Amino acid sequence: MPCLSTVPVAANEEVGPGAFLLRAEGDFPAAPGQFYLLRAWDRDPPLSRPMSVFDRKCGQISFLIFVRGQGTRRLAGLRPGDPLTLFGPLGTPVRPRGGRMALVGGGSGIAPLYLAAKEFRTAGEVDAFLGFRDRPFLVPLFQEVASRVHVASEVGAGGVKGVVTEIFRPHGYDACYACGPDGMLERVWQACRSAGVPLWVFLEERMACGVGACRGCAVRTVGGFRLVCRDGPAFPAEEVIWDG
Amino acid sequence: MRVGRVLLGNPVVAASGCFGFGAEYGEVYDISRLGAICTKGLTLRPRAGNPPPRLWETRCGLLNSIGLDNPGVEAFLREELPRLKRTGAVVIANVWGASPEEYEQVVQALASSPVDAIELNLSCPNVPGNGIPGRDAAATAEVVGRARAVARGKPLWAKLPPEAPAGLVAVAQAAQEAGADAVCAANSFPALAVDIRTGRPVFANVVAGLSGPAIKPLALRIVYELSREVDIPVVGIGGITTWEDAVEFIMAGAHAIQIGTANFLDPYAGPRIVDGLRAFMEARGLGSWEEIRGCAHR
Repeated sequence: MPCLSTVPVAANEEVGPGAFLLRAEGDFPAAPGQFYLLRAWDRDPPLSRPMSVFDRKCGQISFLIFVRGQGTRRLAGLRPGDPLTLFGPLGTPVRPRGGRMALVGGGSGIAPLYLAAKEFRTAGEVDAFLGFRDRPFLVPLFQEVASRVHVASEVGAGGVKGVVTEIFRPHGYDACYACGPDGMLERVWQACRSAGVPLWVFLEERMACGVGACRGCAVRTVGGFRLVCRDGPAFPAEEVIWDG
Repeated sequence: MRVGRVLLGNPVVAASGCFGFGAEYGEVYDISRLGAICTKGLTLRPRAGNPPPRLWETRCGLLNSIGLDNPGVEAFLREELPRLKRTGAVVIANVWGASPEEYEQVVQALASSPVDAIELNLSCPNVPGNGIPGRDAAATAEVVGRARAVARGKPLWAKLPPEAPAGLVAVAQAAQEAGADAVCAANSFPALAVDIRTGRPVFANVVAGLSGPAIKPLALRIVYELSREVDIPVVGIGGITTWEDAVEFIMAGAHAIQIGTANFLDPYAGPRIVDGLRAFMEARGLGSWEEIRGCAHR
């Protein structure tokens, strides 16, 4: 049952290039795969911004914001004490399959994976594969909750030089969960499919209502259009129709 | 209060396409607090809708190209309507047809159902081909007349586009003469966005519908003009985001107002506008909206 509330920002820290960890106080429920619609402005931009929950613990929720446009720029510019409006939790939680699980994130795609790692480790063993454009960040946090953390940096600023699909191998995993750009997701899916490993992908689309009412965030699946906000954001990769 | 023969608890109606079938926002608040709910546009058969992207933001506005993604009227009657009626909400079924015959068939399917009224969507900007009979008086008269003949006395609202080549007044008058109980003005404005990275229109259907606060003064002017020229009630739609916006529409002549994009700015926009209007009535000592309806004309 989603709720709307406005709370003061507790902290907003630039943790990596153009990446901000935005924290708010309050007991906000969230399961892996779920998100909140965030806003900190009146009428413009009209839409709130859907953001995966990075972490939640007693009395605090956090979001990893990557600056892309005017909405994320506004969120990145929030200071402690500024009001932040949250609407959620929204979306269908993704469940851990158990056994050995791999989480694969590229760029802003690492945002939903920390909560997944934290929750999934009670159901099995979790490894994380994280891809960054530049200097890697938040890696120690992932190391606290994942058995192994593999890191790639496109410019070679840490970990293996390259993209995350070059360091990820699905062999030996019982299930994989991936979030990132479409091209990356498609390559992860090709690797998982040929290895016979089930994959869940977290998809992104422009979104308005967040509750399935406007049908704006449709994505193509083998079962027809489905909605990122209500049916997702996580979908079984074999159901997704890839554009590329 | 009333819009023609439809009895509403208040003048705030959820606009079609922005409120699903009610259940989606029903998880957020008691949707029977709204005056009525206009359903997602219904077609004879299920429709997949347009390919993504379906949304694009502009300054204070939103472009959409959803394309009537809906499960079809039969699935609506079987699965959605019973659930929606149980909430106690007044239900207005929004209907679209690819031809006058299809409008007639969908209305026929709804005529003996418990929907409280039918809104003929004569103005969807997001379907290719001849999807906008509301741009023409004769085409409007044909659709409304056919619907009237099979609607078994159900109140019929005609939802008009914001523009018609020979003038919207003639279209509204044609709807009235063909048996419409009310006209709703207006649907989203046909508009365009170009993706400067590709140099191509953002939307596969090229033209999309512009809604949101940006269009409010444009819609208000339309309601002002139509309410002077037709005898049936005018339902105002277009960028209404606050109770103050709603009061402007009532003062310009609207009997009720619909809120669409405002739900995306604030999921509680509907009940907030209901409460704001009630407080305004009390503060002004109004016994009914009739006391100020259309006062801008005087």
